Amino acid sequence: MMATTRPPLALHIAPPTQRRPKPVEKIALVKLRKSFGLIEVLKGVSLKANEGDVVSILGSSGSGKSTLLRCVNFLETPDSGDVILCGEHVRMRQRSDGRSVPADPAQLTRVRTRAAMVFQSFNLWSHRTILENVIEAPVHVQGRPRKDCVEEAEALLDKVGLAAKRHDYPAVLSGGQQQRAAIARALATHPEVLLFDEPTSALDPELVGEVLKVMRGLAEEGRTMLVVTHEMGFARHVSTRTLFLHQGLVEEEGPSEEMFAHPRTDRFRQFIKRAQP
Amino acid sequence: MDFAFLQTTLLTLLGGLPLTLELAVSSILLGGGGALMLTLMQASGSLLLSAPARAYVFVFRGTPLLIQLFMIYYGLGQFRPTLQELGLWSFFRDPYWCAVLAMAMNTAAYASEIIRGGLGSVPPGALEAATACGMRPLLRLRRVILPLAIRQALPAYSNELILMVKATSLASIITMMEVTGLASKMIAETYRSIEIFACAGLIYLALTLILTRAVLLLEWRLSTTRKNGTPA
Amino acid sequence: MPSFDLFLGPNGWGKPLLSAALMTVALSLSGLAVGALFGAVLAHARIGGGLVLRSLADAVTTILRGVPDLLVIYLFYFGGSGLLSWAGHAAGYDGFIGLPVFLTGTLALGVVSAAYQAEVFRGAFNAIPRGQIEAARAAGMRNVLMFRRILVPQVLRHALPGLGNVWQLILKDSALISVIGLVELLRAAQIGAGSTRQPFLFYSAALVLYLVITSVSGQVFRWAETRSLRPFRRA
Ligand SMILES: Nc1ncnc2c1ncn2[C@@H]1O[C@H](COP(=O)(O)OP(=O)(O)OP(=O)(O)O)[C@@H](O)[C@H]1O
Ligand SMILES: [Mg+2]
Repeated sequence: MMATTRPPLALHIAPPTQRRPKPVEKIALVKLRKSFGLIEVLKGVSLKANEGDVVSILGSSGSGKSTLLRCVNFLETPDSGDVILCGEHVRMRQRSDGRSVPADPAQLTRVRTRAAMVFQSFNLWSHRTILENVIEAPVHVQGRPRKDCVEEAEALLDKVGLAAKRHDYPAVLSGGQQQRAAIARALATHPEVLLFDEPTSALDPELVGEVLKVMRGLAEEGRTMLVVTHEMGFARHVSTRTLFLHQGLVEEEGPSEEMFAHPRTDRFRQFIKRAQP
Repeated sequence: MDFAFLQTTLLTLLGGLPLTLELAVSSILLGGGGALMLTLMQASGSLLLSAPARAYVFVFRGTPLLIQLFMIYYGLGQFRPTLQELGLWSFFRDPYWCAVLAMAMNTAAYASEIIRGGLGSVPPGALEAATACGMRPLLRLRRVILPLAIRQALPAYSNELILMVKATSLASIITMMEVTGLASKMIAETYRSIEIFACAGLIYLALTLILTRAVLLLEWRLSTTRKNGTPA
Repeated sequence: MPSFDLFLGPNGWGKPLLSAALMTVALSLSGLAVGALFGAVLAHARIGGGLVLRSLADAVTTILRGVPDLLVIYLFYFGGSGLLSWAGHAAGYDGFIGLPVFLTGTLALGVVSAAYQAEVFRGAFNAIPRGQIEAARAAGMRNVLMFRRILVPQVLRHALPGLGNVWQLILKDSALISVIGLVELLRAAQIGAGSTRQPFLFYSAALVLYLVITSVSGQVFRWAETRSLRPFRRA
């Protein structure tokens, strides 16, 4: 993607320390708290992801994984804590009833086009064809020229293996195809961060592979991804880092391979044992 | 069979067709606007707006159209002096406008319930996906909510349209000479009810058939379960 | 308050209006019953009939759904009376013989609701799992017994919500019977309005009574529905 050929004029070879660029921080969540009614679902969760990081978020059901992910693009509004996306701090304000809400709608739209989400149940718009689903946000939210968007969308659909299906409606696609279309839709706004909430949990076992393959491809491209998943193979071998949530707190986190090879906490050890008998 | 009589009957009854159509179209259009307003009032979240809308729907769906018509045409006559003062009397004296008003008010109540059902059927996931990609509320309404709701509501609304076409016949009771008015007049004069019923029935059947077909065509155009939609 | 005496005084209009409301209920009930009969026949033809019977039933349904109810009422009133007068003429009696209006109204309401009822019954029948019919046959039940013990109770249960809708439809349609002179609620209000010159008041009273009837009977149907679902719920 980056320009790789440089004119031979560059006589100056950078010293090794400078060739490795300083990591760019894409997501920082700081001490997020969130309650629904009386139950506190997130009790101060922090998370950082640099450019190119693929972070798997694991945890048992109800541990707050989805809630954490949905706080990144403000599908849920955290009660307190900070969300910093691509260096931009999302400003909040107190509503009259005491709840905090994003202060600036324009900033919220910016945040949401920067962090695209892929849902467990695909959530494709059933009244639009696959291609129309993909170009919807670039054309109508970002206001880009339709022709460019269509061209780009066709390339994206080709990449996820759905070029032939572009004029079909979602209803006639299999689950795996729908989820791949949803991934293409997420990519269409040129997001800097991809959020996946259990993207393979609603799929029949034989369809999981095709979606994971697309996701692995994205990881190899160096995209920044947060992935809530139950796929231990993906967490261990594809994601760079893993975060294990338990009852609204980070129980353990670290580089994935290392964490799976040498779990430090009993809970995480139990968790992987139960997941992979 | 007396074909000559059938032919003259059909021709006579067809003379009432323009009025029937006019009644149907104006009340459907007016009623559609009213339905939208009722829906917005009910969705507003303010009790001051939603309670009257709910009461309106309750009353108009819970009582016969004919009594609503009588209420407007005869009932308001009790307030003739006031209406004259307000300059509204010429409107409420005219059976045509009273019929249109009654039918529009009636269909507004039913249609608002149909719209509400359509809105309720929009899957939350589709909305969430729209929010997640940065759509603001108005854009979301225009691009996701309304298109989905309309598709869902169309069959029920097509039923309501047919009921409205049939309801225009009630205007004959307050002296309007549309198709049913002409038919009942002919029946009273000739007592040949079966032939006249057949002719009038034919006209209404043709109308409802065309309407049904048109909606089916629209439904097919908007259908999202067929393969290969029209290229974007 | 003058309207107090008007309705509740010794010679007030309250009693005639209330008995007219009862007439509306009675008329609608008999319309529902007759319509259920016609509807069951139509549904039977559409489910189990041969090609001819099925197309005939489809044609009848299309006609009944496309033609205004008022026309059907006129057809029954004038057509029925015409038939009677013609028969009377043959028997040596000259003059117009009117069909009893309650009978005409019942027949007309039954016929106009038949198409809807047929649809309700058909849907209810289709909701019964085929396996149950096979089980009944396997248990050695013959047609009549199976119909009585297995089909009817279940069809009725599945049909209840739909029948509730049809009932509301018939109740509101019953106001149309006033045009042939039956003194039901709307007609009674008309009479009161004419003789007191207070149409708004009388139509309002009738309106309220209609509301009471539709909402109370709606409640009854909902109650029956929950009751009929009882055997399907786990404790
Ligand atoms: N909108 C909401 N209103 C009320 N409670 C909620 C809401 N969303 C989530 N919860 C509660 O918050 C807790 C955490 O939910 P969350 O969806 O984040 O869990 P999860 O880790 O994603 O679980 P799963 O693996 O089942 O998806 C649960 O107890 C859930 O019932
Ligand atoms: Mg979840």
